[in-house]
Amino acid sequence: MPGIELKNVTKTFGAATVIDDVSLSIRPHEFMVFLGPSGCGKSTLLRMIAGLESVDAGEIWIGDRRVDRLPPGERRVAMVFQHYALYPHMTVRENMSFGLRNVRLPEAEIDNRVTAAAKMLEITHLLERKPGQISGGQRQRVAIGRAIVKEPQLFLFDEPLSNLDAALRVRTRLEIAQLHQRVDAAMIFVTHDQVEAMTLAHRIVVMNNRRIEQIGTPMEIYSRPATAFVAGFVGTPAMNFTPVELSDGPNGFVAARLPDGAIVTTRIEASSLPASKSFKLGIRAESLDICPVGQGETAGVAQFVERLGDRTLVYVRLSDGSTIVAEDAGNSRVAINDSVGVKIDGGGVHLFDDQDRGHHAVLDGSAT
Amino acid sequence: MAAQLASGAVGRRLGDRVILAATIALAIVMVLPMLWAVGLSLKSNAELLVDTNSVLKAPWTLRNYYDILIGSGVFRWLLNSIIVSVGMSLGVLALSSLAGYGFARLEFPGRNVIFVLVLFGLAIPEQAVILVRHQLFSDLDLHNTYAGLMLPGMSAPFGVFLMTQYFKAIPTEVDEAAMLDNASRFKIFWRVLLPMTLPAQATLGIFTFLHAWNDYWWPLVSGTNEQMYTLTVGIASTQMNFAESAGLGYLMAQAVFAGLPILIVYMFFQKYIVRAVSGAAT
Ligand SMILES: Nc1ncnc2c1ncn2[C@@H]1O[C@H](COP(=O)(O)OP(=O)(O)OP(=O)(O)O)[C@@H](O)[C@H]1O
Ligand SMILES: [Mg+2]
Repeated sequence: MPGIELKNVTKTFGAATVIDDVSLSIRPHEFMVFLGPSGCGKSTLLRMIAGLESVDAGEIWIGDRRVDRLPPGERRVAMVFQHYALYPHMTVRENMSFGLRNVRLPEAEIDNRVTAAAKMLEITHLLERKPGQISGGQRQRVAIGRAIVKEPQLFLFDEPLSNLDAALRVRTRLEIAQLHQRVDAAMIFVTHDQVEAMTLAHRIVVMNNRRIEQIGTPMEIYSRPATAFVAGFVGTPAMNFTPVELSDGPNGFVAARLPDGAIVTTRIEASSLPASKSFKLGIRAESLDICPVGQGETAGVAQFVERLGDRTLVYVRLSDGSTIVAEDAGNSRVAINDSVGVKIDGGGVHLFDDQDRGHHAVLDGSAT
Repeated sequence: MAAQLASGAVGRRLGDRVILAATIALAIVMVLPMLWAVGLSLKSNAELLVDTNSVLKAPWTLRNYYDILIGSGVFRWLLNSIIVSVGMSLGVLALSSLAGYGFARLEFPGRNVIFVLVLFGLAIPEQAVILVRHQLFSDLDLHNTYAGLMLPGMSAPFGVFLMTQYFKAIPTEVDEAAMLDNASRFKIFWRVLLPMTLPAQATLGIFTFLHAWNDYWWPLVSGTNEQMYTLTVGIASTQMNFAESAGLGYLMAQAVFAGLPILIVYMFFQKYIVRAVSGAAT
């Protein structure tokens, strides 16, 4: 079965462009997550695929059919809405069979599918109840069930977990991952929760401000962010950024000079960098280790200490006045106002040029 | 803590009792005149002429009801009232639902202007238009027809307003889910949204029915043929002047008779009426 293809898709509301020339291809059976901050257009893009928003320019293909002019019901997609959108006056069974009745599937087939889906979702005992008589988590299952019985080529989820409490969210997340393994369909899952994105996705589409910033596997997104936005958006705590001056270092790698004068040898090849007026250095807390003063590349004063159990985050004020977040062991003895050294792992350094494009350490043998 | 809880419970119970007592008192005040009317209707007119307090003593009689059943056009009027009230209610429900759906869900040029115009209808009293309306219905030959009695009530700005608000309150996600479920626009309206507005339909239907049933002025103007009287007009027509006391028992029997259908409606739709009045229409 061929996948899903978006070609130069654009959407405007009045004068405002909400989706700007987006292209994307999704493999059959792929689990794709749209991740991005509120208002970046994730839902809009999803709704365009579903047929709930018109496509102003570009094409959408599902399998070998061009669907962007087809009504939603004929696109062979199923959608699970954030607020469930169940039909309150119908029983759970009627909710799940409504769409099948509309395409005149034989009663026996409808019955089979509803029974099977209800069993899979463990909602068999709820089938004769109305949505008002079941809990929020159960409603979400019914909404998923209503999608499953359609046996679509593509499942669309718009923040389906955001109304659930923390424990239920984790459980439902796992169930959606399991569901994906059982059905022969691709899934697109919209969220602004990066943990959901990292745990569920084969590939993540990071969106910001009408556009796609990066498409990649969770680890690519995390360790080789294409732009400064992606680098800052993904990962907790957020990546540290600081302006740097570059010079040639050993073995063709560049060396970076931090505002406080510290020199870091990176694993980024000088030849891979474009001409750029300025560079910004980005580095995650996990590449900054607390050490005794004098042993690291730089040093400063601890301002806050956050103990997470397995590790400790230390907010260090450097001599130039900027603050970075560094990591220490779980049993760290660092206290506020202590002077600490910071050891910088040059392999964890990312550089961002004046276009905010990311440049990363060489992979084994090959340059970026 | 426990003591506090207990006293709170007592306080609540005390408050409940005061409210209950007040409600019972009010109910008695409201029900007594009706019971009095029922009592009067069960007495012979001759006895009532002497003393209305005789209501409390035997003999009672069903004579007045007998007279109604054989002597007047009351059955015809009852039928007319039922046809007009039910017809008008159904008409209002159909038109208001369609208009409400349109205003809430369709985008068309001038939507807001038209909606405001409809709302202006709320502010125009019947007195202001009844002459013109009479003329119009004469020209159209609609007087003394059921259509003539029903049509004016079917322009129901309040109904349109109510249904518009109700449809607007339903999240569009529900429509969208139904679109993805392959439902046509009409099916979405008919099978998905309309059932969700049932409480509003009940409220609107009941109020329209009661209004139509009790309406006196327009039926009096339009239905001049005795065969086209509604109950209100018919009953009034049998009473020659307001000081008349000769046929008091008969008059009361007619009033009771006219009130019965309303009582039945109340009994069946009590739940919805209570919700409608308390504004908690969900
Ligand atoms: N019907 C509409 N008319 C006008 N503007 C709209 C409409 N729908 C969405 N927008 C705008 O489009 C932009 C993207 O909205 P969208 O709902 O896709 O964001 P999102 O990424 O899903 O955000 P969130 O995470 O908050 O759900 C927003 O700026 C929003 O204001
Ligand atoms: Mg959204």
